[in-house]
Amino acid sequence: MTQAYIGPLERIDETRWRIPKSYKPGMRVDGIIFADDGLIEQIRHDQAPEQVANVAFLPGIQVASLAMPDIHWGYGFCIGGVCATDPDEGGVISPGGVGYDINCGVRLIRTALSEDQVRPRLKELVNELFQQIPTGVGRTGKYHFDRKELRHLMAEGPRYLIQRGLCTEEDIEHTEAEGRLEGAKPENVSDRALDRGAEQCGTLGSGNHFLEVQVVDAVFDQEAAEVMGLFPGQVCVMIHSGSRGLGYQVCDDALHALRNAPEKYGIKLPDRQLLCAPVHSPEGQHYIGAMRAAANFAWCNRQLLTWQAREVFESVFDKPWQDLQMQVVYDVCHNIAKFEEHEIEGKKKWVWVHRKGATRAFPPGHPEIPEKYRRIGQPVLIPGDMGRASWVLVGQQDSMAKSFGTTCHGAGRAMSRTAAVQDARGRSIERELQERGIVARARSWKGLAEEQPAAYKDVDLVVEVVHKAGLSKKVARLRPIGVIKG
Amino acid sequence: MFEVFAHTADLGLRIRAGDLPTLFAEAGKALFSVLVENLEAIACRETHPLTLENDNLEYLFFDWLDQLLYLFDAQKLVLADFQVTITGGEMANHVQGGRPAEGSSDAGKANAPCWRLEAICRGEKLDRQRHILDHEVKAITYHGLKVEKAEGGWLAEVVVDI
Repeated sequence: MTQAYIGPLERIDETRWRIPKSYKPGMRVDGIIFADDGLIEQIRHDQAPEQVANVAFLPGIQVASLAMPDIHWGYGFCIGGVCATDPDEGGVISPGGVGYDINCGVRLIRTALSEDQVRPRLKELVNELFQQIPTGVGRTGKYHFDRKELRHLMAEGPRYLIQRGLCTEEDIEHTEAEGRLEGAKPENVSDRALDRGAEQCGTLGSGNHFLEVQVVDAVFDQEAAEVMGLFPGQVCVMIHSGSRGLGYQVCDDALHALRNAPEKYGIKLPDRQLLCAPVHSPEGQHYIGAMRAAANFAWCNRQLLTWQAREVFESVFDKPWQDLQMQVVYDVCHNIAKFEEHEIEGKKKWVWVHRKGATRAFPPGHPEIPEKYRRIGQPVLIPGDMGRASWVLVGQQDSMAKSFGTTCHGAGRAMSRTAAVQDARGRSIERELQERGIVARARSWKGLAEEQPAAYKDVDLVVEVVHKAGLSKKVARLRPIGVIKG
Repeated sequence: MFEVFAHTADLGLRIRAGDLPTLFAEAGKALFSVLVENLEAIACRETHPLTLENDNLEYLFFDWLDQLLYLFDAQKLVLADFQVTITGGEMANHVQGGRPAEGSSDAGKANAPCWRLEAICRGEKLDRQRHILDHEVKAITYHGLKVEKAEGGWLAEVVVDI
């Protein structure tokens, strides 16, 4: 059984709880968890708050070790963790603070189709998506890239795919950082990582990754929805995937190289998975270059998934994707570390913001938001579970003061995988979803059982907290009607 | 003997054995039981030798599973039988680090007490017609990693990222 957290959690306000730095010797700052009364009870059920406290040990950490309301027990960092470090105060970069799936993220593609137009072809559409898009463990993609091309993908991101006719300028404009982190060093990515990722660009993966056909269920902010081209009853496609084996191996390689870093740099860590190195160190710099390369690769992966989805829609609805208006609304990552400017105690500072299962949510006017969205705030895409909902939000001003411009990334798990399988014994999740009007295809019964809606917290409750806390604002709620899973 | 234990979004592997070689062999099976639903369908028609060294037993254990995961992911090998020999604790002139030992002896850290693993892994190339794949293991993690002496032999625990 999972052990419950029994340490302190002091209420700060309606949406925030503090773990004081006096809780554990070695904590440099407080821990702060965003949650309401209901969610905090669930959060106490496992060791996630302990992990928030552990992250507070990292050298150079600023303000607090933060966690979003979808927090759950991870390894090293909790999932839903946010931590900013100042390199000029000995701040570290932590591969575990990014996670194995570097630039795991979400992309939303809109269509001109309404639910009424899609319903009659829904089964065919989902079957075709499942047939055409590689899903699940060990699946290889239909796109092949040799070593040289892989290095281009890692250096240039999806822009490299324009010449192959698999990406448009507009796709890039609507991708965070235009799908390319500056300073990527493909030469820092090992052959092992290339071996694992070579055939996986354009594959969905497994676990919680998915591609869903969704319907805009309700609009909460008319203006923002209009700017994004979203309207009630509209069919959209949401993609959740990351950097595949290439990214996993980049993280694995970095942690391996950092095994002796705590002794070398005199860093005391309560969990080996928090291995890290000063940003200003050869190990730190090497990882940053490789991480950025893996992030660019992840954007290429989601771009190729987008392209395959467009091709399926074209064949099912017998129209070019341009006529179906399948434009990318936005693409945003939720496993990344980025060097950003933030105001800390009245002073502007450049810090490394680690978001491990947390989404950047810059407020209106921020220069890093695409021009089209600058006045509404950065679009934030929150995947929920396959039975209830996902959300589109926009970043809000308070996120800068309270969470280094960050909000939640999903619903967060409420049940372990083993418990979810136990819970699903004797049931057909596929049939249950069908009864709710959702067509789901997965590689196995177990795959669906582990990812069943009840395995997750209610994403609506999570979104309510970040909305109330002023981190991000509700724009639209989307409900799934078609799901493909690995 | 191994079991899978709950770890929220991931999976934990707990392995018990009377001796270290059996512990490592069982851990290999445990990992592949997470990757492949029907281990019994794996025919042991190919052998893959593996040699690893590390001065830390837990890291040797980590590297063993890490290497098996790599063989699955990059070389599409499904493995079901592991014949493991472990020597260690002695003062030896070996390399530290834990990547495959071949050709790396020059960079060695002299006189480190070193654990050495030699294994013959048996299995075959992945065949989707016969092998039912289960979870995608992204990585072996260091979180809660332990290899320790326990009642009746050895106990190991490791969490794998799903």
